[in-house]
Amino acid sequence: MAKVLMKGNEAMALAAIKGGCDAFFGYPITPQNEIPEYLSYHMEENNRIFVQAESEVAAINMVYGAAGSGARVLTSSSSPGIALKQEGISYIVGSELPCVIINVMRGGPGLGGIQPSQGDYNQITRGGGNGDYHLIAFAPETLQETVDVVKESFDLADYYRNPVMIAVDGLIGQMMEPVDMDKEIPQKDLPAKTWAATGESGKRGSRNKIVSLHLDPYDLEKHNLKLKEKYDKMVENEQRYEMISIEDAEVVIVAYGSMARIARSAVKALREEGVKVGIIRPITIWPFPEKAFENLPESVHTLLTLEMSLGQMHQDVKIVNQGRYNLAFYGRAGGVVPETDEIIEQVRKYVGGNK
Amino acid sequence: MKRITILTGHYGSGKSEIAVNLAIQENLNCLIDLDIINPYFRSRSVRGLLESNGVELIESTIENAAGSDLPFISSKGSRPFVNRDLSAVYDLGGTKHGAKVMMQFRDFIKYPEDIDFLVVVNIYRPETDRANKIIKMIEELEASSQIRVTGLINNSNLMEYTDESMIEAGEQIIQEASQLTGVPIVYTFIEEHLKTTKTFAGENIILTRHLAKKWL
Repeated sequence: MAKVLMKGNEAMALAAIKGGCDAFFGYPITPQNEIPEYLSYHMEENNRIFVQAESEVAAINMVYGAAGSGARVLTSSSSPGIALKQEGISYIVGSELPCVIINVMRGGPGLGGIQPSQGDYNQITRGGGNGDYHLIAFAPETLQETVDVVKESFDLADYYRNPVMIAVDGLIGQMMEPVDMDKEIPQKDLPAKTWAATGESGKRGSRNKIVSLHLDPYDLEKHNLKLKEKYDKMVENEQRYEMISIEDAEVVIVAYGSMARIARSAVKALREEGVKVGIIRPITIWPFPEKAFENLPESVHTLLTLEMSLGQMHQDVKIVNQGRYNLAFYGRAGGVVPETDEIIEQVRKYVGGNK
Repeated sequence: MKRITILTGHYGSGKSEIAVNLAIQENLNCLIDLDIINPYFRSRSVRGLLESNGVELIESTIENAAGSDLPFISSKGSRPFVNRDLSAVYDLGGTKHGAKVMMQFRDFIKYPEDIDFLVVVNIYRPETDRANKIIKMIEELEASSQIRVTGLINNSNLMEYTDESMIEAGEQIIQEASQLTGVPIVYTFIEEHLKTTKTFAGENIILTRHLAKKWL
């Protein structure tokens, strides 16, 4: 299919329209502003809904309401804005409603800065909101992959009746890359939303209620266990990852998003010199792709986690490693993006090391 | 080339890469980065490269605060309009909102005959993929900047996937807009990797990518 040149944020916005997004509610924040800007006129052209809310808290609660009515809903923000949305996200999960959330990450904590970061890993995978809950979280590497997962996310959210997050660092939001916006993506057979509060209870004879309040602890535990079953299913079915040059690798880099792009350029240069290094690239950061670590070749002795944060995903690598390999970590923070040479230097520390 | 070139267009059309290339290749005195739209990939991010090529960088953030996105414009930006010894390229932010910045310099423009106001067009950007859309954009940019567009730049590309046929397809559509508006194509930019012997409309300039990272 024909490719066009898109900016990441603009591509995600168009992908949402193509993915069947009915309504967008959001509040501006750098570096994701091209998403609401693009949707502010293209949603209307497509007879969809766009609302610039008065705050992030308002936006996520509008998402909650619209999702409850059965609409396909999107919100987007960047790190501190996503932090503000955590309460609403927990309510949406608790009420078993689908929605898609785009997080274009910038440096933190607090207001932080506007340069790219991956510092929201814990916020996304551990939940910033309350209670036992999880989101499927994609961390794509290229604009093509980003566009494809945005489109697919609306189906996945409906399928699991759970929010799906697209977590990219600011670079992916701001960079330009050729993309095929109409690439075919997997589609799910989805049942009708008979649970939605559509105002048509008179016709149906019974009333649908959207609630996250369960005052009876046994009732709430039952609800928690039901959600848990759903999360177990996500862990079983939705782990996504890519293995790059793993076959004979001594050192395996674990990196996602823009860090994986930088790692890829480092691996290319090192491989030309004969250095045996590969990459495990998580495409979902929740569920974390544990399966990728199951059958690594005998040659592997070290896992090197790379992040644009200071050891957040590294905790998941530790859990999955179970003491099998040497573990190493390198990260930059605050919006600093490492150069390829920095990564090459890190890898060199560990090649030829002891098993 | 005129003493002053002002680059405008849709965001992602390639204004900043073109500004840096023009400044270096044409030995201009200054590059004025007036981008108040983009937070990343701005021409101010290659200050060192510009300075080592003798180009003074005047940027639109408070000095030493390149990480901010406050819409601040240095008053130094008006110098080339009043001092005829200075050659310059102005890099505006994308869309009509980015072009509006020019309004504040209106009273300083003493020598309009020294100025080229050029719209950068890449037909592989969906917002400028047809002649009618390009014409609508020209009208919007003129309205918000209060300056007449004097030329078009064909920068049709898909980055490393660009081939000659894409530049030709761009030329065809931009030519159509050119005929309908009477605004000529003044430059065609050609990706460095394309070793082409063909010649395209206007002056042909090889584009080296300075802002995109190696691993992007």
